[in-house]
Amino acid sequence: MLIRPVAEDLKVMAFYLGRIFVVVAAAGIAPLVWAAAAREWHPFSSFVLMVGGYGLLGAAGLRLGGDERHLDWSHGMVVVALTWLLVPAIGAIPLALSGHFARPLDAYFDAVSGLTTTGLSLLGDVDHLASSLNFWRHLLQFLGGQGIVVAALSIFAGGGASALYIGEARDERILPSVTSTARFIWAVSAVHLAFGVTALALVGWLALGFEPLRAWFHGLMTFFAAFDTGGFSPQSTSIGYYHSAAFESVTSILMVAGAMSFGVHYALWRGPRRAVFRNLETRTILSTFGLTLVLTAVGLAATGWFTEAGSVARQGLFHVLSAHTGTGFATVSSTEMSHWGGLAFGGIAIAMSLGGMGSSTAGGVKSLRTGLAIKTVANQIKQVLLPERAVVGTVFHQSGRRHLTPELAQSVMVVSLLYVALYLLGAGVGLAHGLSLEPALFESVSASANVGLSVGVTSPGMPTSLEVVYILQMWAGRLEFIAVFSLFGFLYAWVRGR
Amino acid sequence: MRTLLTALVVCASLGDASVAAAGSSVSVSVVDLVERAVDYAGQTVTVEGELVGDYGVRSGQWMWTQLNGDSYVTSPLREGGSVSTANIGVGVRMPVDAARNLDPPGGYRHRGPVVRITGVWRYHDPSRAGETYLDVTSLTVMEPGRRLSEDTAPLSIVVGVLLLVAAGGMGLLWRRP
Repeated sequence: MLIRPVAEDLKVMAFYLGRIFVVVAAAGIAPLVWAAAAREWHPFSSFVLMVGGYGLLGAAGLRLGGDERHLDWSHGMVVVALTWLLVPAIGAIPLALSGHFARPLDAYFDAVSGLTTTGLSLLGDVDHLASSLNFWRHLLQFLGGQGIVVAALSIFAGGGASALYIGEARDERILPSVTSTARFIWAVSAVHLAFGVTALALVGWLALGFEPLRAWFHGLMTFFAAFDTGGFSPQSTSIGYYHSAAFESVTSILMVAGAMSFGVHYALWRGPRRAVFRNLETRTILSTFGLTLVLTAVGLAATGWFTEAGSVARQGLFHVLSAHTGTGFATVSSTEMSHWGGLAFGGIAIAMSLGGMGSSTAGGVKSLRTGLAIKTVANQIKQVLLPERAVVGTVFHQSGRRHLTPELAQSVMVVSLLYVALYLLGAGVGLAHGLSLEPALFESVSASANVGLSVGVTSPGMPTSLEVVYILQMWAGRLEFIAVFSLFGFLYAWVRGR
Repeated sequence: MRTLLTALVVCASLGDASVAAAGSSVSVSVVDLVERAVDYAGQTVTVEGELVGDYGVRSGQWMWTQLNGDSYVTSPLREGGSVSTANIGVGVRMPVDAARNLDPPGGYRHRGPVVRITGVWRYHDPSRAGETYLDVTSLTVMEPGRRLSEDTAPLSIVVGVLLLVAAGGMGLLWRRP
């Protein structure tokens, strides 16, 4: 029997939602200050409104919630699911008021896309967008990539941290407590921010000839989008704007760093480093990356548009990296990508669907699940082929020896299948809107796996129903389903419970 | 007058090659160039559009920027234009002399100069490891850049401040034992 939520349930959730809104309100001051410094007064006004909105929701949550109480598992999941829907709703205000979106829903789409680190955009005329608004879009990716809840956890310790942490699709606790793990995640990001922005800004200034301030601006924006595998760009032609192998190289390093789990970052910092390469997750991602790179390179060569191997290697490598890490940067137009077809299309689509490592900023199925799913299927086949009493080994290496238990195998297969279902659902809706199979599937995978590469389907004026489906796909894909199902269950219990 | 002068300066700096290139070029729109990129590979084309982004001068020899050919060139959003598509642009490379007298590129504060460019369409240029761009041989400024006006939204500020005051009041109440 379902139990209808009572006032106490709502209070405890309101309290934690309030805390998260307070953190986001504080983050919202950054673009407000930026707008004032850049004398961009129209965006400045809308940022005041946004910070006011976040502040009021935060204070209201804390006021309604009363005192701090322990947050149980189901409440934590609902809080996370609601956070990822409500934060972009307020965050979309400056975007909607900018005049760069045809309708408010489009601005909400971009805010969800930013927060979920997807990178698909319905923004019209990004090349004339205010720098403070660009900063806000990219900051949303940074907040989303790091995890807003992680941000809140690193500031407020307290009961219920585990539920919030796992609800945000982070199941790897690197340090003994969730709070210390959250702080470690921010420390890693801060170090990458310092080195990444400096490197990109130096390339922009010294090699590309940008003015120093503009070079720094491009460096900061690209860092946010690369390390958090987001894919927004301050210019409409994405990374193709820079026409620079050096800029692409630094960006690629940041994309890889972003797609690595924070557990791997910890091992690389503190050692033992060799153990990282024994992990099933590392081996799986290296294998799938190699496979999709070969597929894409052969596909690109077959188009006949490239006259030498170096071009195929550069274009293939960058786009497969971008797809596999879930970033979504491109150096070719969406029109050209829509014409790739064949193996190149397949390679990129597979790379997007598989995604990066678990507990990273990347989306998709994730390499550990892929590795375990392959191992599960292989074990099943072995079991059938071997004599009835033979025992099939179930050990795998992931930060030490672990057993692939039936429960783990089941969980891996369920989540992997849910991703496939999500990909197919969006593709089906795309087909219903008259798209052909390839673009419908490509865009659906891109939205669900939070990648952001586009073959032109996502553009201002796209059908509203398709837009709503992509929003839901980005949301569900980022949270890896559990928190989303918890919210639906909570709502169902509210209506039908006793 | 200023436009004419700029055009003369640019054409003079590019010399005879620009005249020859312009004579045998195909006039296309930026949209067409992006959509049928492979069809124009290696051809000399003439396109019109707005220069946006940055003027990146490399090695003192070449200047790289972006040429947009979307609806926002003629109807900027901040001058009453409406959102229609995403930007449509191509990278352009020109001799640094050609860029010397150009107005600031398009961005939040400026509508960049609208130019007519003739150049060779380098589609996945092997000499630049597969980059695609327009290699400019002649450039004419059709319309100089101009500053875009900016309005403020006092109502947003007033409502925002009221919300913050309300939030502060609630915060004080919450802090009470």
